[in-house]
Amino acid sequence: MNINKYPEIKSGGKLIKKIYVAVMLWIVGRAIQAASRVDREVKEEFGRLSDDFMMHLHVLPSGPGMIVGKDKNGKVKYMGWNPKGKKITLDMKVKNIEGAMLMFTFQESTCVASANNRLAVSGNVPDTMAFIRILNIVETYLLPKIITSFAVKRYPKWSQMSPMRKYAGRVLVYVRTFTF
Amino acid sequence: MQIPGYYEFCNKVKTVSGHNALDKLPEMLASVNSVKPMIITDRGVNGAGLIEPVKKALGAKVKAGGIYDDVPADSDVKTVKDIAAKYRAAKCDSIIAVGGGSVLDTAKGVNILVSENSDNLMNFVGFGALKRRLKPLIAVPTTSGTGSEMTLVAVIADHERDVKMLFPSLFLLPDFAVLDSRMTKTLPAALTAFTAMDAMTHACEAYTCLSKNPLSDSTAVMAIKLISENIMQGVKKPGDMQARLALANASALAGMSFSNSMVGMIHAIGHSIGAICHVPHGVCMSVLLPYGLEYNLHKTGHLTGELLFPLKGAEAYNSAKAEERPLLTIKAIREMNSDLRKATGGKHPTCLKEIVDRDGNMMVPREVLSDIALLSLNDGAMVYNPEDLDYKDALMVLEKAWEGEPLDRKKIKKGKKTSLVKVKD
Repeated sequence: MNINKYPEIKSGGKLIKKIYVAVMLWIVGRAIQAASRVDREVKEEFGRLSDDFMMHLHVLPSGPGMIVGKDKNGKVKYMGWNPKGKKITLDMKVKNIEGAMLMFTFQESTCVASANNRLAVSGNVPDTMAFIRILNIVETYLLPKIITSFAVKRYPKWSQMSPMRKYAGRVLVYVRTFTF
Repeated sequence: MQIPGYYEFCNKVKTVSGHNALDKLPEMLASVNSVKPMIITDRGVNGAGLIEPVKKALGAKVKAGGIYDDVPADSDVKTVKDIAAKYRAAKCDSIIAVGGGSVLDTAKGVNILVSENSDNLMNFVGFGALKRRLKPLIAVPTTSGTGSEMTLVAVIADHERDVKMLFPSLFLLPDFAVLDSRMTKTLPAALTAFTAMDAMTHACEAYTCLSKNPLSDSTAVMAIKLISENIMQGVKKPGDMQARLALANASALAGMSFSNSMVGMIHAIGHSIGAICHVPHGVCMSVLLPYGLEYNLHKTGHLTGELLFPLKGAEAYNSAKAEERPLLTIKAIREMNSDLRKATGGKHPTCLKEIVDRDGNMMVPREVLSDIALLSLNDGAMVYNPEDLDYKDALMVLEKAWEGEPLDRKKIKKGKKTSLVKVKD
């Protein structure tokens, strides 16, 4: 059998959904980088991760995706979408675009998506847990409470995140996400 | 009942249950073309004479490639590597694991190394790391608790880093599970008690955590019913073979259930206690079960309430109002722990401070609770818990479980309340 006669068929269609998820992944990726400079808790979470930490969150079978990891100086960076040439230590795959839509329209939290078998993760479990915690904090900064409440199990109480930290952090995360 | 929008359920373990189920071993091996199995067990099991029925069942037709009987109570990566080397040297072609959770999980770890021809278990940590079918594995449980004979997970400790590593893969499901009542007959009362409560915890968490589904629910409910009906008989009358077989089946059912719906905070905290203090897993589960259900009441109170039916029967369930059932379920589990403490002459703990080693030394000193709380946040089971836990929450649960006091539910930071029944704080 000549395998070349049977080329890999890339999934087409659902272009609008793919564009929406791609934009959301870009924003979330940039916001994680921003939050790692702004928020003490996110900084500490990344501090506990290994120096070669590199996370690839992508949608099967053919994207979109985003990569966030530590650079040579240990700084957290959004590193685009292409995993070529990068050593991924945590690979989080959303099994299809519909699952990604549920996650990125915030109808399902990361935990519920995992529970509903929409995610496949390869990598260290503690790293996965740390990344989920980071994602929850970043979503709290990016979105209003009414939407974040769907995306996380428990919206942070005052004792966990003071209004001062939340609103000042939100401004700084937005500025850094969309500027530099 | 709410059906999940999407779920997956897989159990392809052939289960052989009976008072002489082991006699089928040669047929099982023949069906997977194995002629030289390796027997993996521990000294306790071997010393209790439980390998004899296995050898007798194999008879002259099958010659075991070796017996490794040195699996420690809390198996680790080093042991797995040792056994894999012996397996290769003896040119074995399958594994018969005879023992409790540690032995079965160790055997799964060994199976990864010998099937993947690797020496580094770390390469296979996490979901999706295993890509192909492994060597045949026959699981013969000698405790009725872990349900490891039915699960797709192996938990193996790395003592150097003080963590328990999770290896989840469909390829880790054993080919056969042999539930033979003779294999648990010699289990001491205290071990019978906490291993059965381990199975109870699997079933309760499977029924109340985020990944529950109708198939896992049905096996969980049956497991709880079998345990509640047989646990005291199994502890008080060790020779009751019907009770032994019922508990072995309950453990397998609970294993089937949680393997497909995962578990939550009770396991996350319990794994961490095990990793830091080396407390047997079932002991941690017995103590923590009521606390986990209590913590999640505002999210899953209605589900906890439904468990009163398999726990206490139709009469107790029907005579209670819907909003009373969740707390009655928790009360019933606490009473079960107290009854087991009495029946085992004080060996079954009801709180963390009562857990002692063979010399009577406290195994979970209060000073380590903060380390346990921190470690538990990185356990994968936290994902499936209905309510979120941060460090302070985990520490609060641990402090109450240490003292043996119920949680002060007013102090629980609550997310969106999703329980269909209102449970008073």
